[in-house]
Amino acid sequence: MESDEEGIYDVESDASINYNSSDDGIYSEGENTAHGEANDFMDEPTSYKCLTSDQIFNYMMKVVDEVNAILQLPPHITCILLNHFKWDKEKLMERYYEGDQDKIFEEAQTINPFRLKGKVVSSNTNNITSFSMQSTKRPLTTQEVCDICYLPSQHMNGLQCGHFFCIDCWNEYLRIKIIDEGQGQKIACPANDCNILTDYETILSLLRGSDIKTKYHQRLTDGFVMSHHLMKWCPSPGCSVVVKVTTAGTRNVTCICGHAFCFHCLQPIHEPVRCPLLKKWLRKCNDDSETAHWISANTKECPKCRATIEKNGGCNHMICQNKSCKFDFCWICLSAWSPHGSSWYNCNRYDANDSVAARTAQEKSRAALNRYLFYCDRYMNHRQSLELEHKLYSKIKFKMEEMQQHNMSWIEVQFLKKAVDILCKCRNTLKYTYVFAFYLRSNNQATIFEANQKDLEMATERLSEYLERDVTTDELSNIKQKVQDKAKYCEGRCEALLRHVYEGYDMDLWEYLDE
Amino acid sequence: MAGSALKRLMAEYKQLTLNPPEGIVAGPLDEENFFEWEALICGPEGTPFEGGVFRTQLIFPSDYPLSPPKMRFLCEIFHPNIYPDGRVCISILHAPGDDPLGYESSAERWSPVQSVEKILLSVVSMLAEPNDESGANVDASKMWREDREEFNRVAKDCVRKSLGL
Repeated sequence: MESDEEGIYDVESDASINYNSSDDGIYSEGENTAHGEANDFMDEPTSYKCLTSDQIFNYMMKVVDEVNAILQLPPHITCILLNHFKWDKEKLMERYYEGDQDKIFEEAQTINPFRLKGKVVSSNTNNITSFSMQSTKRPLTTQEVCDICYLPSQHMNGLQCGHFFCIDCWNEYLRIKIIDEGQGQKIACPANDCNILTDYETILSLLRGSDIKTKYHQRLTDGFVMSHHLMKWCPSPGCSVVVKVTTAGTRNVTCICGHAFCFHCLQPIHEPVRCPLLKKWLRKCNDDSETAHWISANTKECPKCRATIEKNGGCNHMICQNKSCKFDFCWICLSAWSPHGSSWYNCNRYDANDSVAARTAQEKSRAALNRYLFYCDRYMNHRQSLELEHKLYSKIKFKMEEMQQHNMSWIEVQFLKKAVDILCKCRNTLKYTYVFAFYLRSNNQATIFEANQKDLEMATERLSEYLERDVTTDELSNIKQKVQDKAKYCEGRCEALLRHVYEGYDMDLWEYLDE
Repeated sequence: MAGSALKRLMAEYKQLTLNPPEGIVAGPLDEENFFEWEALICGPEGTPFEGGVFRTQLIFPSDYPLSPPKMRFLCEIFHPNIYPDGRVCISILHAPGDDPLGYESSAERWSPVQSVEKILLSVVSMLAEPNDESGANVDASKMWREDREEFNRVAKDCVRKSLGL
């Protein structure tokens, strides 16, 4: 057991938990941070950074320090306040200086350190820190009984709310909260009816064992990332990198693990279509609405028992196969077969109103299904091609090695890899143009869009074909010229298409179908 | 872990025997197993449950008092806040966060500073004043609200049964 003084968590000595955030180096530009390539996509090329878990903690502490430079509070209290305001510094400052400060502390479930026991605290940060740390300890004069284990203990600890428990109970309590319940920023005092939140300084001073400290540390940063509106975890499985954007408008980001995704919806990059339409599309592809379409386009219901029936022969005299039904009816007019007698042509008299409506409804359904299948087919096709295109990388690598043996330097053969990069990007864009086109109502701009789409598709196919076949048979001297020409053209078409779509968004040129 | 739970339960048992609250007797069934208690609760005076002695069971988790014990009535009892199988639906026995019926604020929930005595006292006051808003036994809630005479009669039946009459 540590003595009381040693129990105070020593910030500087624990290497695994470094929150000496005055050390700016870790968060400085360029170091271990990935930037979007300048020509990667059209918008905001360098407006995001990738942070590893250590960097996140440092960044969190940096934010706390920045706020503290103004608020002059103990850092752990600032941390609770910031968490309450979802790490929106400006909002916290605004509320702090505008309104009732006590109310803010109360809402954030902490205690105003300036009001503790009526003491006036000097604004020197060091004093505040030492003051708040002392306030969580009690003098060692008497043994007290812990309210949790009912045993007397010399090591009673508590938050500023004045509820004190022994260090063993604190540890058990925190272990359950941190490990079993996965909490970090929002662990309240164990006392009944007390909602004062624990702060990281107290917790780290109470916790014993480095495994649980590490875990707590993780929970803290998890909470920080989750509540911060400009940060998101890379959705790639097993990747623990956080992408931080500088403005909320940033969409396309690429994690240092190589996964490229949309910052807004976390789907893979989906230019030119926007997140809500994509979401609609994915839902449509996943749900049963197309099955329903197929059913209504290709089947009829038994007029008696409503079982769904698909016609599989030419005869129009239907006998329902539902064992408890066995209804005889006419496929054309859907009424009982008996009055049809010997001449079923009688049923043409029903054609008048009802069946016309039914037929057009069915035709509509059929047309909608065909339209969806048309776009879906092309979307799936490009998706499959994109997957296959990834195989090209290994093929190209082989080719690049071969070229290096023929008097070309490493840097000179990089054009091949770049061409495959462009190809994949164009395929990806093409794939999503079909989603966009599916929802697009036809107008002049839509016609231009389709022309652009056609150009891009042709250029992409040409580049793909060349990279797949001819690159292995053509003269080495020709290859570079041809590949670069084709790739450049392809990229140009892609940019033209995207520019047009974005112009359309800006000027509100696109009209959508309600699907 | 279980060690600290055991110490705490022993301390509580000692306190309850030295200083028993009125109308409540509680303790482990078997001194070998401190995690299973029985408690006898007298029906509070001036209520339909007056005169009854109700046998209840308390099962403690190994991480007690961080998690609440489970409590159930072992005898037949007709009450809006007691499930037909005897489980007691009372906020003090719920950990903060899970609220099966959605009526409790977290302030009334279990916390490690609660105790067996506080639970049993809450149960006594629950017998006296049912909360018909979060009914565990819907029939009992409905009867308590709409036909108090019939409810009192059924409660008296339970009292008689609890005494073995």
